[in-house]
Amino acid sequence: MPFFMLIFRNLLRQRVRTLLTAFGISLGITTVIALGVVTDSLRATAQDILKAGGSDFAIAQSGSADITYSTVTEEQLQAVAAYDGVEHATGVLLAVSRLGSNPYFIQLGLDPSDLEYFQVPLLAGRHLAPDAPNEILLGQEAASQLDKKVGDTVELKDRTFTVVGTYRTGNTYEDGGGMLPLATVQEYERKQGLITLIYVKAKPGTDLDALTAQIKDDHPELATLRTLSDYADVDQGLQLMDAANLAISFLAVFIGGIGVMNTMVMSVMERTREFGILRAVGWRPRRVLAMVLGESILLCLIGAVIGSILAVFFTRLILVFPVVRSFLDPQYTPEVFLRGLVVGVAVALLGALYPAIRAVRLAPIQAIRYE
Amino acid sequence: MSRNRIVIDVQDVVKTYEERRIHALNGATLQVREGEFVAITGPSGCGKSTLLHLIAALDRPDSGRIIVNGVDLAQMRDLSLYRAHQVGLVFQLHNLLPTLSASANVQLPMYEAELSFWQRRTKAQQLLEAVGLGDRAGTPPTKLSGGERQRVAIARALANDPPILLADEPTGNLDSKAGQMVLELLRSIQEERGVTLVLVSHDLQIAAAAQRIVRMLDGRVVDEGEAPSAAAREAVEEER
Repeated sequence: MPFFMLIFRNLLRQRVRTLLTAFGISLGITTVIALGVVTDSLRATAQDILKAGGSDFAIAQSGSADITYSTVTEEQLQAVAAYDGVEHATGVLLAVSRLGSNPYFIQLGLDPSDLEYFQVPLLAGRHLAPDAPNEILLGQEAASQLDKKVGDTVELKDRTFTVVGTYRTGNTYEDGGGMLPLATVQEYERKQGLITLIYVKAKPGTDLDALTAQIKDDHPELATLRTLSDYADVDQGLQLMDAANLAISFLAVFIGGIGVMNTMVMSVMERTREFGILRAVGWRPRRVLAMVLGESILLCLIGAVIGSILAVFFTRLILVFPVVRSFLDPQYTPEVFLRGLVVGVAVALLGALYPAIRAVRLAPIQAIRYE
Repeated sequence: MSRNRIVIDVQDVVKTYEERRIHALNGATLQVREGEFVAITGPSGCGKSTLLHLIAALDRPDSGRIIVNGVDLAQMRDLSLYRAHQVGLVFQLHNLLPTLSASANVQLPMYEAELSFWQRRTKAQQLLEAVGLGDRAGTPPTKLSGGERQRVAIARALANDPPILLADEPTGNLDSKAGQMVLELLRSIQEERGVTLVLVSHDLQIAAAAQRIVRMLDGRVVDEGEAPSAAAREAVEEER
C-alpha cells in the first residue's frame, strides 16, 4: 500500500470525526477566501475608478480618507487641463444616494460636453444634451436593476429625471450607476464649483511619470492616481479590508488549529498501541511524524476544498442583492485560493505539531502495552 | 561466516521499573550463536520477555551491555533501523493493525527498506505464501483465526529478511493445534533461512523444540540445558 494510502485510510477510520473537523476548518477557509474575493473585487472596482472614461490617470484631493470625500475645485480642473501634455481633463463629481431599491446608487456628474472625451459607449438612446438639467444616462446594470429603458423616468433627490440613454463601459462602478449633468449634481449636492475627481487623458507620447510628477509638484494639495498604491493614498478602505483579511486569516489559523489539534490528539491517543507497533517493526520517528502530519495536512486539504467551494457559493449568493451587484464583480484569482490553501496547511501544521511530537516520543514497549 | 559466531551477547544486564522498585533483570547474561534456535523459559515474572524486548531494542537496560552482530546497542544511533533490518519480532498478541489487510500488515516494516510499492506488495505476497496464507492477502486480521494471525505476524517479522527472529510467547494465545503449527513454522523458517531464533515461552514442551534451552529465574539466567536430541524432540511432539 502506498504511504499516502495508509494516511488516507487512517482518516477514513473515523469518518464522522474527519468530516466534522474538515467542515470546521472549511468555515475558516471559506471566510478567508470569501473575504479575499471581496477585497480583490473592490480592488478591481478601485482600478476601474482610476481608469474610468478611458483616462490615463485620475486626480483627487490629497490625503482624503475616502475617495468620495475628495474635493477638487473647478479652478484646479482648469489648471490641470492647461498642462501641455494633457489632451483633455474631465471633472467628475461623485455622489451616492438611494435610487429605487439601491441605497448606494452611484452618480457621476460631468459636463455633457465632456462625454465626447469620456468614453461612454451607448447601448440605446443618446448622450446628455447641453442645458438639459433633468436628463440621466443609466449604466446597463443599473437599468437592469431598476427595470428602466430609454424614455422612462427615475426619481432621484426629489427630482424626476428622464432616461435618455443606457450605456455599458465594462466598468463595474460606472455600469452600476448613472451619469448626470455636472451642474445638476453640484446643485443637489450643494457643491457648486466643486468636483470629486479629475480624469486626465494625456496627449499621445506624453511621459506620464513626468506629467504626474509635475502636477504633484505644482499642486501638493492634489494626488495623482495611476495605481492601486496611489489609490490607497486617498482611500483607506482597501487597506482596512486587507488588515481585516489578515486578522481573520490569523484567527482562522488559530481556531482551526485548535480544532485540528483536538482531533489529532484524540487520534494519536487512541492509536498509542498502533504507534508502538509501528516503532517496534522499525518505523523511524520521522516516518511516524510524516504519517501524523500527513493525516493532518490531508484533513486540512479536504477542509480547504470544501472551504473553496463554499466561498465561491457564498460570493455568488451575495450577488442576488442588487446593491452588491452594482459595485462588486467577484474576482476569483488563483492568489486568493492559494491564500486559502496556505491557511489550510498552516492550520494543519499548527494543529498536528503537538500530537505528532507526542506520537514520536512514545517508547515502543510502553506504547505496545498501552490499553 | 562461521556458524559458531556469537550474534547476540547479553552481558550482565540490569533492568528495573518503577524507580528501581521492581527488578526485572538482575545481571542477566546470555550468548546466542548464529543460526541457533534458543528457547528462554522460566516462571512468570522471571524477566524472560524483558530480556527479549531489550534484545529487540524496544527498551534500554539500566546497566550492562547487549551486543548484536558485534555492535553494542547502546552505541547505536538509530535503533529504528536496527529493529527494521536486524531483528524480526513476533509477539504473544499478534499486534497486527486491524484496519489493514494481511498483506498491508506484512508490508509495514518494508516502508523503511526503500522498496517500491510493487516490490513491497510482491514480497508480502511471497511471505504470506511461505506461511501458507497466500490466498488471504487481502483479508483483515479481524477475519483471520488466531493461528492465521500469528502466521501473518511471522510473515511481517520476516519482511526485511532479518538475521535474527525474536518470538515472545508466540503460541501463548493459541490452542495446541494452532500453537504446534506456528512452532513448526518458526522452526522450519529457522532451518531453511538459517536465521537465529530466540523464543520465549513458559511452556517447556514448546521450549523443547529448541536446540538449546535457557532457564531464567529472578531476572537471571540460572541454567542452560543441553539441546534435546532430535529423537527427544520427536518424542515430545508425539506426546503433544
